[in-house]
Amino acid sequence: MGTKQYKGIERKQARWGFAFVVPSLVFFSVFNFYPILNAFYTSFYDRRALSKLKPKFVGFGNYVRLFDPARAANPLSFYNSLKATLTFTLGTFIPLLIVSLLLAILISNLKSQKAKRFLQISYYTPAILSSVVAATIWMLIFDPRGLGNQWMNLILNTPGVDHKWKTDPVMLQVSTMLVYFWKYIGYFVILFITGLATIPQTIYEAATIDGANKSQTFWRITLPLLKPTVVLVSIMAMLQCLKTFSTQYMFYTNGSTRAPINVITFNIYITGIQDQYLGRASAMSVVLFVLMLVLTLFQFRTTKSGENIDY
Amino acid sequence: MKKSVYFILIIALLLPAAIFAAGAKEQAVDETKPVTIVYWTHDDAARTKLENELIEKFQAANPHITVERSTRSAQKQIELVQTAFAANEGPDMFNLPIENQYAYITNGRVAPIDYVAAGFKSKQDMLDKYMDGILDTVTVDGEVYGLPLELTNWAIYVNKKVFASAGLDAEKDYPKTWEQMADVSEKLVIRDGDILVRRGFDFRYPYYLIMFVPMVEQLGGSLLSADGKKAIINDDAWIKALTFMQEWGPLGRNLGSTTYQAPRYLFNADNNDIAMAHTGLYQEGRMKTENPKFFESDDWMVVPFPVFENAVKDVASAYYGHFFMVNADSDPAVQKATWKLIGFLLSHGEDYLTRGGNLIQPTKALLASDTLKNMPYSEVFINDMARANMVYYGSDSAEIQTQIRNAVESVMLSGESPQKALATLRSAVQEIIDERH
Repeated sequence: MGTKQYKGIERKQARWGFAFVVPSLVFFSVFNFYPILNAFYTSFYDRRALSKLKPKFVGFGNYVRLFDPARAANPLSFYNSLKATLTFTLGTFIPLLIVSLLLAILISNLKSQKAKRFLQISYYTPAILSSVVAATIWMLIFDPRGLGNQWMNLILNTPGVDHKWKTDPVMLQVSTMLVYFWKYIGYFVILFITGLATIPQTIYEAATIDGANKSQTFWRITLPLLKPTVVLVSIMAMLQCLKTFSTQYMFYTNGSTRAPINVITFNIYITGIQDQYLGRASAMSVVLFVLMLVLTLFQFRTTKSGENIDY
Repeated sequence: MKKSVYFILIIALLLPAAIFAAGAKEQAVDETKPVTIVYWTHDDAARTKLENELIEKFQAANPHITVERSTRSAQKQIELVQTAFAANEGPDMFNLPIENQYAYITNGRVAPIDYVAAGFKSKQDMLDKYMDGILDTVTVDGEVYGLPLELTNWAIYVNKKVFASAGLDAEKDYPKTWEQMADVSEKLVIRDGDILVRRGFDFRYPYYLIMFVPMVEQLGGSLLSADGKKAIINDDAWIKALTFMQEWGPLGRNLGSTTYQAPRYLFNADNNDIAMAHTGLYQEGRMKTENPKFFESDDWMVVPFPVFENAVKDVASAYYGHFFMVNADSDPAVQKATWKLIGFLLSHGEDYLTRGGNLIQPTKALLASDTLKNMPYSEVFINDMARANMVYYGSDSAEIQTQIRNAVESVMLSGESPQKALATLRSAVQEIIDERH
């Protein structure tokens, strides 16, 4: 009798819980799930943005075209987009992960609350700046007559040298990485600070009593106990980097050459919006989706994130 | 419980499909009801002021018509209009550069002109009022799909003071050939090491169809063959033009580059950082607003687009147009009202020229008017237009321009050989036009 009554309450609660979840489920369906399904569907058709004609079914034609080796020589090909995306992701996500962790530890160990808050706000501010403002700031810095060259020439004692932040293919990639790093470092620092705050102080006290030094405390206590946050941040940072678009768009519209920074999302934009090949752009987005899925699964496997941390 | 959960989940996931499927229903036609015209255009402060004034008059004379005019940057306008049309939510009235707009005609997205609503007696009456051939651009199968808001070409603005500071007399020493342009720029340029503090001239990147293709044409080359089936005609001409750009850039004589601030934005300030800028008649209006003292002075002039020393053709920078077009999916009553509005706006050609951003609307009356002739250096623009071609405006023009940009920038900035850049360009453009055919 008691069990039956319990089930009735549980069902009633579940119904209400479900009622609260439905709006967000509908929102997700309309704005996320439907576009994903639609992209899969469209990727099998030759669909043009402005055409009123029924799209022609091409099967895997769009995918075959993306991976056609004959097109690899063109610097604007999908092959080179894959290369540009991987270069950008590796060059940004690893420094983001390491530096944000180090900064979080530095900030967490500060005694002064004022200094802590000031640094948190300082690092986080770029993340909430609009892309237009960020673009204006960085384009002024990277202008040949801008602060970028002035600072570099002062540091390296090379007066009058143009470091070609926006034109040299390698420097251009480095510049986009720098901008992205600046914009998102604060976000990941905050995540790490939150993760660090969940580690009980008593563990550190016990370690100190046992005679552990700072290095041992970091490698034997902080890092292992921070593993769930590290996994979360590394996956989020990697996915963010794979999705990068506005930084590359900003450089391109300010005169930089496209090939070195033609990441997949930017290629999708040019192919779908400018060149109007929606089917082809959808195939690119499906490839990006699969790439993100595979890399995320790989990271989950290698870090074994399923392990729970018990204190 | 499980069943109901699955049911709600399925409904939630299928809901969007139902919503989107119901999107394209037809609207009833009722010409007597009040209509609202949604008009999207690009930013231009002077034109906005004039058009708001004209729209107010139009609405007063036609109380059942409301006009909702909105503006955005020129680049955003191209993207937004296309995205809206792709979702069948395009504005009733819009304008774009013809190289971006032509695809709207070929895809049946825009309606043919309602001559009577636009204020003409007939199609012939309309054709007679415009510059010969100009409406051919927007004519498909005998139907005309747009009326020109502006027809623009660019010439070279020269700051005489900067010339004088380098010991040159602008009136005599202004460059007539591209070779002279490079040599004169070398004399005008001021560098801090590799960094250009003052440029003589710099190109209008990345509008390669407008300024680079004519340079190739001067040397006897062309983008496409006469039948439009073969890409990149006359390799020598293309290689010479690409080599010129390579020499111009930071890896050559270092006279300019794509990432310095655009000369037309610097020219009006008269700050001794640019001597020459490649821009249109509309620059005069902007100069008058931004730096009236400089505009009123005798310190600037406009000269024709140069040609190569051994040019085989005298071709100036290409001209381009923005056309007013009407959404074919708009309610017929709205379409009629929109053509009426377009006819009304375009009947004020002299206002657009004098206080609407110095725009030239290519009607015979305006081209023959004293108002145009009396504008400083307008004859340079008129003469250059006579030796120019309309910009390439096929439905694939944006895609082709991207490929040309890649070729020019790869030689200018990445040090690729003009031969290799040309081979890549040819293969990419040939593929684009093959797909079209």
